[in-house]
Amino acid sequence: MLHNAKDNYITSVKNHVSQFEEKSFRKLASNDFKSWPSPREETWRLSRLGVLTRKEITPIIPNPKKKISSMPKFNDSTIIRFVDGAFREDLSSKLPPGSYLNILGEEDSISLFNKFKNSNLKNHPSTNVSFSCTPSIVKLTIEKNVSIGDLFEIIYEGGDENLSVHPALYVELKDNSSITIIERFNHLSSLIMPLQLVELKKNASMNSLKIFNDNQQSYNLAANCTFLSDKSNYNSFSLIKGGLFTRSETHAYLIGENCNLTLNGVYLSSKNQHHDLTTAIYHDVPNCTSKQIVRGVLGGESTGVFQGKVRVAPDAQKTDGQQMSRAILLSENAIANAKPELEIYADDVICAHGATVGEIDDEQLFYLKSRGILEKKAKQILITAFLKDIINESVEESIQNFVFEEAELALSEIISKEI
Amino acid sequence: MSLLEIKNAKLKLNDKDILKGLSLSVNKGEVHAIMGPNGSGKSTLSYMLAGRGGYDLESGEILLDGQSLLEMEADERARSGLFLAFQYPVELPGVGGMSFLREAVNSRKKFLGEEELDHLAFIKEARKVASKMFVKDEMLKRAVNVGFSGGEKKRFEILQMAMLKPKVSILDETDSGLDVDALKIVSDGVNAQRNVDNAIVVITHYQRLLDYIVPDFVHILSDGNIIKTGGPELALEVEKNGYAGLINAA
Ligand SMILES: Nc1ncnc2c1ncn2[C@@H]1O[C@H](COP(=O)(O)OP(=O)(O)O)[C@@H](O)[C@H]1O
Ligand SMILES: [Mg+2]
Repeated sequence: MLHNAKDNYITSVKNHVSQFEEKSFRKLASNDFKSWPSPREETWRLSRLGVLTRKEITPIIPNPKKKISSMPKFNDSTIIRFVDGAFREDLSSKLPPGSYLNILGEEDSISLFNKFKNSNLKNHPSTNVSFSCTPSIVKLTIEKNVSIGDLFEIIYEGGDENLSVHPALYVELKDNSSITIIERFNHLSSLIMPLQLVELKKNASMNSLKIFNDNQQSYNLAANCTFLSDKSNYNSFSLIKGGLFTRSETHAYLIGENCNLTLNGVYLSSKNQHHDLTTAIYHDVPNCTSKQIVRGVLGGESTGVFQGKVRVAPDAQKTDGQQMSRAILLSENAIANAKPELEIYADDVICAHGATVGEIDDEQLFYLKSRGILEKKAKQILITAFLKDIINESVEESIQNFVFEEAELALSEIISKEI
Repeated sequence: MSLLEIKNAKLKLNDKDILKGLSLSVNKGEVHAIMGPNGSGKSTLSYMLAGRGGYDLESGEILLDGQSLLEMEADERARSGLFLAFQYPVELPGVGGMSFLREAVNSRKKFLGEEELDHLAFIKEARKVASKMFVKDEMLKRAVNVGFSGGEKKRFEILQMAMLKPKVSILDETDSGLDVDALKIVSDGVNAQRNVDNAIVVITHYQRLLDYIVPDFVHILSDGNIIKTGGPELALEVEKNGYAGLINAA
């Protein structure tokens, strides 16, 4: 029955929990999944889940033998694979010294659950549903003083129609450690609810690149919670191009002094895609910086949403927070929404933000055309530059080309239809 | 036949008359200077010629080598051999200088039916021209005009002119913001391109530039019209007495 489908998923999540031996945190989580977020909730107003809630979906039971289709993109990278939301040791690499993976036991899972529940992701549907249904919570630890030279590639794939997948990853970087992690979401599922907690201990550094490229019918509701201790650096870039509806929500808590956060992102949207980058940055202590550049290119009847909250607590003096978002609409029927939200309770801070939505810059276009370059080519040059610029600024040199090629594929899809 | 012919050009911006029936005829091999006070319509004239959107003529005609430009978009005008050195060159973040030049030059070559240069040959050619303009290789690797000084921007404009080999070049206040050394470099770059087959229109507020790029004709633009035409001595008169005397006399 169609109108009951909403409750069906809630029931099937509860039922799914019963098959696990350890149920403590799963029960708590599933009890908290009472309904989908309503459009009346401020952060879901621009990204409504109506269509999703009317679908008949059940949580997946992972197939431990499923064949994979996504190949690694780098030669010497360390691969970690999730298929149907389940960690597949048989398809993953041996980890380099100083790093290890383990499956969290019940106690650690409960404590992780509580971390989410104490954050502003507490009511996020992925928090409740994925803690209920994840096959297991995987933890990646980087030991003290270890700099991992190799790239880590985490590939998420699998799923199927009318099924939801629930990968859960906890990354801990101990003091003075560093790593670069590339995550690629390549599911073929109706609903994808990745959960991630990142903890950067003192002086730890992480570069994170996420590429959302799930199939064109899927909903991806990724939830990421990150904690930065003293002098840590989290440099993150998300490229959203796949899915029917992809929303990446990140909450970053700057809890130690002198840490630096970059949360950049690009969305490339065509047809009837809906892409959403929602972020919240909490400056709770003094002397930290956060930087955010978000760019979107939209064609067709697509929608882009950027919601960026920055909260500076009364004690967080000398905070430097920068936020810029810009979207280029290539079609009259595309929509971009930008909602910066600054809550500043400290007085000695530098916070700048700006958001623009518009067409290709007239002056730049005229300049190129005045050099004899055809309008179509000129537009292509400008949009490509718009992306290249932020990619070069956001990711380390050795992976810039890779990211750019990934972006270009989606871009050419948009451009070929619009200009 | 003139290389560039402007006949009775009238143009409004936001319902305000800016060009009020301006005519000008430029022959092959000539350098013309258009001088005028701020707000007299110099940049409007150059945008109009280059085909900027919103700068369409209300009436009048412009011919490049006998061909009407009015129906052509900016890119087609440029490929046909018109070049505008901008008063304020536009920054293009993320667009590398070398690939920008190559795209522009190859567009023009294609139009002329000439063979496009391959990647290496192009780089070699660009470097050669650049070194004459004292444009460092490093500048060609950077994004176009981004973080360039005023002088670098103007040198890069003239470098583009040298690469594109236009029939008619309009230089809009190419001297503004330049110190004497930079002025000399830019002027040498322009002079090197004077030949019997092309023409250059130098737009300026000050006489100073015309010591370096010596024009055949000087026109005084005031309130959307050319009010006086003479030789280089007219520029000296402006320098001495200012525009006011000339404008009042007209
Ligand atoms: N978009 C516009 N709308 C209305 N008036 C304009 C516009 N742009 C320029 N003008 C006016 O046109 C006149 C000529 O400007 P401009 O061509 O820039 O002069 P110049 O380059 O000689 O200093 C000025 O009075 C200026 O204020
Ligand atoms: Mg001007």
